[in-house]
Amino acid sequence: LMDELTLKGVTQYYAFVQERQKVHCLNTLFSKLEINQSIIFCNSTQRVELLAKKITELGYACYYIHARMNQADRNRVFHDFRKGHCRNLVCSDLFTRGIDIQAVNVVINFDFPKMSETYLHRIGRSGRFGHLGIAINLITYDDRFTLQKIENELGTEIKPIPKEIDKALYVASYQQEGAHEEEEHNG
Amino acid sequence: DEKITPPPEGIQDKTAFIFNNLNQMNLTPKCEELKEVIGTDYWPWVSQYLVMKRASIELNFHTLYSNLLDSLKTKELNVQVLKETHRNIKILLRTDKSAGNFSDRALLKNLGHWLGMITLMKNKAIILDDLDIKSLIVEAYRKGLQDLLYVVPFAAKIMESCARSIVFKPPCPWTMGIMNVLGELHREPEMKLNLKFEIEVLCKALNIEVGELQPQGILKDDVAYKIMVPQLSYAQRD
Repeated sequence: LMDELTLKGVTQYYAFVQERQKVHCLNTLFSKLEINQSIIFCNSTQRVELLAKKITELGYACYYIHARMNQADRNRVFHDFRKGHCRNLVCSDLFTRGIDIQAVNVVINFDFPKMSETYLHRIGRSGRFGHLGIAINLITYDDRFTLQKIENELGTEIKPIPKEIDKALYVASYQQEGAHEEEEHNG
Repeated sequence: DEKITPPPEGIQDKTAFIFNNLNQMNLTPKCEELKEVIGTDYWPWVSQYLVMKRASIELNFHTLYSNLLDSLKTKELNVQVLKETHRNIKILLRTDKSAGNFSDRALLKNLGHWLGMITLMKNKAIILDDLDIKSLIVEAYRKGLQDLLYVVPFAAKIMESCARSIVFKPPCPWTMGIMNVLGELHREPEMKLNLKFEIEVLCKALNIEVGELQPQGILKDDVAYKIMVPQLSYAQRD
């Protein structure tokens, strides 16, 4: 299963933060980036609910899903999210196929995962022509070794987040036309 | 061109935050919030932000952003957004197309879709001084395939909105004039397949049969149809 997912086309960054700075950091990201749709991952169902509640109070528009909700509700939420009724989704680990929503151009690991497989499932895209996107990992002092381990195991590079992120790394216009070009060469 | 003054960073941040969290359900409160944040001085900047950073890229939220304009009910903003949309379209039409810049083509297509929504769909005309679609298609044909690859999908995206307009839906003469040129293009034996396909998809959206269009034979005939104002040449001055 891991072979089918790729990190190609996803630019990965980390921000070094303390636990209590995470929400502040999220605020900064939401004030600086142009987000079409985003997915924010937490490590437990409780933290999903807590974060969703907290940021909703702060004026975010978000849905949440986690593994303890029943399947029908999950489907409903995910369907509505895919339709664009809501722009941001807070969730725990329940994607096994990689995210295949073209509009999602920003994925945030609010909690950094422990296993590289989890990381790949959250960030990876299925298929060779993955959409462009950025992944941002909030890394605490305790995560520092896991970060290295996951980088090594996946043979990828997670860079420190720069002051300005190049828009070309996550805006959709490149990708759409990339697929188009394939068509033209074939047809 | 007058210079657009960007607001202080704090206002820029709050604007980005509002747009990042905007959806159909919170449109009204977010509108109020936006008005509060922006005050009266920065509508030109917001227009530029909306067109360049959002509408040109986020095709999936065009309806949302169009509804935003409606519920903000700020005349100045509507005027500015339209102006800004045309300004960006003109820049893209005049770029050097030999390199086949795919992101430029996607941006132009998105802006075409957006333009149709904020004009035709709201029963407002696209005036010839802003954009002459028929002339543009003919000009692109006479220039060659590279230009057609930009112009046909762009024009088709604009015209899509006619389907949902009381004034501009077929048989509106303005609409049919443009459709007939596209029909003529469609009959060209050498025409690229995906451009033909774009035209067929548009016809389907407008409930027209491609075969029933009435080409006037103007594509190749520069006596029958003379291009008054070239829109594609990048040497041109305002």
